[in-house]
Amino acid sequence: MNETAIKSSSLWDFANPTRFLGIASPVIPWLGALTAALFAAGLWMSFNAPEDYQQGQTVLIMFIHVPAAWLAMFCYSVMSVSAIGSLVWRHPLADVSIRAALPIGAAFTLLALVTGSLWGKPMWGTWWVWDARLTSVLVLFIVYLGLMALIRAIEDPVIAARSLAIVTLVGSINIPIIKFSVDWWNTLHQPASVSRFARPAMDTAFLYPLMVMALAYTMLFLTLHLMNMRNEIYRRRIRTLRVNAARQAEGA
Amino acid sequence: MFGPHAAYIIPSYLVTALTIGGLVFWTLMTHRSRLAELAKLEKQGIARRARNPENG
Repeated sequence: MNETAIKSSSLWDFANPTRFLGIASPVIPWLGALTAALFAAGLWMSFNAPEDYQQGQTVLIMFIHVPAAWLAMFCYSVMSVSAIGSLVWRHPLADVSIRAALPIGAAFTLLALVTGSLWGKPMWGTWWVWDARLTSVLVLFIVYLGLMALIRAIEDPVIAARSLAIVTLVGSINIPIIKFSVDWWNTLHQPASVSRFARPAMDTAFLYPLMVMALAYTMLFLTLHLMNMRNEIYRRRIRTLRVNAARQAEGA
Repeated sequence: MFGPHAAYIIPSYLVTALTIGGLVFWTLMTHRSRLAELAKLEKQGIARRARNPENG
């Protein structure tokens, strides 16, 4: 076996569910504590930020809306990478990762839609508008719900895993559409003001709290994702034990 | 507090706190119930390759 083969074999072993549990379980409490600390710092910075000259105090909504929208897309991107892992390498943890990320992504997308609407009413004068950005995020939310329905509808775990991975990859076409919708179409939603090649078009008084809140949301996602992956592995073990119990009962 | 837009700012933070809190609670409760279910099944003597749920 050459060195590359040894390395890939080690990586494969590293990512098996049992090893994953051994690593994730002690890490989760630390990630949880870091997330709580980041939220405390982010909220303190947000509530001590000055009023925006145009938005007034509704800028406070931006500190929870923008990270939720970023995470809605980030979560789907993680699912798409996992879907490739599931389809191409049949990686044992890839399907676990997609399933674990689903409810978190749906929750962040719902938060982005609701907080965006609550910001839109005083700033735009409307709760909702069918422009490209808002509509594509609504489509993302529907895709999350559809994927959750899909895994509940298919009983066979192998068929469910393949179907979930394929539909997840098909749905990933929506991510660049969401990201570039404000550039490709004339929308009410403002263009990117932080994640762009030029210097962020935002004063540091707002940029720093936003960045800390975004980091807090990201750590929350990582923590919950690991916890949900652990729960999913346990669900599969329970299923195996029940099948074994049924077999033992049949043999008796 | 929050000026004329309090009716939009407060619900935004409330919805966020409830959604994130609910997600964390649901995840913790699922973890608890799965561990209890695993312990119950293993107590019944049903065989699995690795017996400890934390270590597989």
